[in-house]
Amino acid sequence: MDVLTSETPEAPAPGDGRGHRGGSLGGALLSRLVRLVLLLFAVAVASFALMLGSPVDPIDAYVGADIAAIGPEQRAQIAERWGLDDPPVERFTSWLSQVVRGDLGQSHTFNQPVADVIAGKFLTSLALMSVAWCLSGVIGFGLGLLAGIRRGQLTDRVITWWAYTLASAPTFWVGLLLLYAFSVALQWTPVCCAVPVGQVASEVGLLDRLHHLLLPAVTLSLVGIAPVVLHTRQAVAVAMASDYVAFARAQGERTTGLVVHRVLRNAAGPALLLQFSSLGELFGGSLLAEQVFSYPGLGAATTAAALGQDVPLLLGIALFTTLFVYTGNQLGDLLHSWLDPRTRRLGAAR
Amino acid sequence: MLRGAKAASAVVGLLMVSAACTAGVDTPASSGTPKELRLAIGGESEDGYDPTLGWGRYGSPLFQSTLLTRDADLKIVNDLATRHSVSADGLVWTVDLRTDAKFSDGQPLTAKDVAYTFTTASKSGGLTDVTALSKAVATDNDTVELHLSRPQSTFVNRLVSLGIVPEHAHGKDYARKPIGSGPFTLVQWDEGQQLIVQRNEAYYGTKPAFERVVFTFTGEDATLAAAKAGQASMAAVPSNLAKTTIDGMRLVPVKSVDNRGVMFPYVADTGRQTKDGQAIGNNVTSDKAIRQAINYAVDRDALVDGVLEGFGSPATGPVDGLPWYEPASAIKSGDAAKAKQLLTDAGWVDKNGVRERNGVKAAFNLLYPADDTLRQGLALSVADMVKPLGIQIKAQGVSWDVIDKRLHSDAVLFGWGSQDPTEMYNLYSSTQAGVEYWNPGYYANAAVQKDLDAAMSATDQEQATTYWKAAQTGFSATGDAAWAWLVNLEHTYFVSDCLDIGKPQIEPHGHGWPVTAGITQWKWTC
Repeated sequence: MDVLTSETPEAPAPGDGRGHRGGSLGGALLSRLVRLVLLLFAVAVASFALMLGSPVDPIDAYVGADIAAIGPEQRAQIAERWGLDDPPVERFTSWLSQVVRGDLGQSHTFNQPVADVIAGKFLTSLALMSVAWCLSGVIGFGLGLLAGIRRGQLTDRVITWWAYTLASAPTFWVGLLLLYAFSVALQWTPVCCAVPVGQVASEVGLLDRLHHLLLPAVTLSLVGIAPVVLHTRQAVAVAMASDYVAFARAQGERTTGLVVHRVLRNAAGPALLLQFSSLGELFGGSLLAEQVFSYPGLGAATTAAALGQDVPLLLGIALFTTLFVYTGNQLGDLLHSWLDPRTRRLGAAR
Repeated sequence: MLRGAKAASAVVGLLMVSAACTAGVDTPASSGTPKELRLAIGGESEDGYDPTLGWGRYGSPLFQSTLLTRDADLKIVNDLATRHSVSADGLVWTVDLRTDAKFSDGQPLTAKDVAYTFTTASKSGGLTDVTALSKAVATDNDTVELHLSRPQSTFVNRLVSLGIVPEHAHGKDYARKPIGSGPFTLVQWDEGQQLIVQRNEAYYGTKPAFERVVFTFTGEDATLAAAKAGQASMAAVPSNLAKTTIDGMRLVPVKSVDNRGVMFPYVADTGRQTKDGQAIGNNVTSDKAIRQAINYAVDRDALVDGVLEGFGSPATGPVDGLPWYEPASAIKSGDAAKAKQLLTDAGWVDKNGVRERNGVKAAFNLLYPADDTLRQGLALSVADMVKPLGIQIKAQGVSWDVIDKRLHSDAVLFGWGSQDPTEMYNLYSSTQAGVEYWNPGYYANAAVQKDLDAAMSATDQEQATTYWKAAQTGFSATGDAAWAWLVNLEHTYFVSDCLDIGKPQIEPHGHGWPVTAGITQWKWTC
């Protein structure tokens, strides 16, 4: 960097600027990574402590109704297979050293490596979440824009009322109503599962999958729409009331032009930030939607892990969720600052 | 959140059920056996289909076959074995194998595979307890010797339940891609959703009538909805949903030894404690007169009608209806006069509605898991039924955590039930006092112990049965009345009018999968 600036003294400002920006970006990235690692560690310690404090005995949970047939020797074998005999600190450190080496351990409940369980279940959830996420983003932004432009008019009032209703409706309840209407009464959509019952995987087409995905995804997106609508509406309203819009209007620009050229970019920032930071809620909502629709994603696996005291799996899912939500938030941050340079300067000043 | 989800799914179920009523039922258009049978009976094995980890211990292991099997009357018959014998000291079991059994990959099943399966299962730390095995040896191609470290007549249940896996194909991913010599092969398992299996054309036994069977793993309410919509030929439902009617289906209640009973602390409270510091003994329930009086006074028929809504039968012991059940151990239920007489004779005097003896009130706690409404109903009813006698039972709904700490000094409403008499041994043997959930009351009776031990070390199943029966007269209500057994549950299934499932076995504790025990005999009758 120094070599570059000294060799091109004629253009110090751009070179300097680029170098400076690159350095701070790298620094920011590094600090974000450090924060992520600390966060992951804290989440792991907290989850592990919670699991230790749980009254559920992992072997009892695993044995279930077989308690009559499992003797002390067999229990000892199970405890040994799972490494439950070691003191908690030792269990945690051996788990941690495994994780550092990239091995999340073995899930008791599913008798499979944790990474495989998460990968398998998450793919199912991902399809659901990404469709819901896109739907809620696009619809939410569109409605918010419309409401903001027509502020105070009937359209605005209807949209706002609808958003408030949705914001206060629990996911599972919305899911129930949709299920009742579309699967049971109208019989347009299937009652359960991600694939048709009795059909071999090779026979299951994309349309089948979409058919099974539709209702859970709509449920999930409906719940995510409300905050996007309300925030977008607010941002649009502020932009519409600003001096520069008034000035443009005075120069004869029409509403469509105003919105496209002056308002859209301003409103997109908060919407995107919100959309990315809602990944946590999306995750939580998907657990409920999966339960309602018997959709076998990460939600079902989380339940099984918790009820079975499957420590490696639950820790794995906790870490994965943290990573997922954190990445979402960071992406939202970056995109927001890219759309709205003012936030970048504020960040640098801090 | 989870609780919300559960409530949600329950509501969904109700909504769907009410709507499905109007939806009608799809009947197969053409007659004759359908290609595919759909069962919604639960029982997904989340950790896969490896018998050495416990798959197949209930019902049929589907993909694998076992050395022996139990018929509809629970009598032991040959499957892979052509003959088996036990040495005079009970330590060596010799099994001769049939020679025509093949794994689904075409390889023959040999004695080496059997030896490998038993050895692996004895070390695997799974859900099948083969710890009594010291070694398994294949003496030639079709003979295997199983050496035990102690005589154990109940080891026969391992021969009945442990599916044989191929040594050459038993690797890390076996649990998800099982290869066996059973009646079906696995086509596809969508975890959390369904299991699709196909008839194994190379199976040596009676081939199933259905080319393909699909097991769906939906929740209870969704299961009922699927049945109502004609999407399942068989659906396991909880008994509280069994009163509904479904067009084209009949209700099949299957008897079980899934029982509920009151465990009494058997010894007096002398300040004794377990190693973990839990109190042992209770000065009221340690009196035989109290235990017997409760046994006589409880009206079991009323419990069946009132709490189980008719889906069950009165229980007289822990093994009702099984081949080793002793009918002479039964008593007449609901005999309040006899109960009062017993108490008066033992010196318990009525004082303001509660009896007393030497300053001790006839009062004790009865614990039950608070989230189990069935046990709650039973506990409260029993308390009501013995109140007129002058016995005060305080029914307390608590968590298992609390039960774990108090089960040696308070009465507990437990549920058991197994097709393996080992359970009876564990519940009443003094050697198992305070071990896990076995014999929590510290019951001990030398004569009963002698019978139990004789049954356990018998080398002949008939002989073992005689001793199992003898033990029951000792510990049942006519003897020490160590427990007050209340009811046996019935498991309820909706079965298509076209599906003949033959005579189902008496089922163990747990619901669903055991009904598949006779799946190869099922027929389509339409």
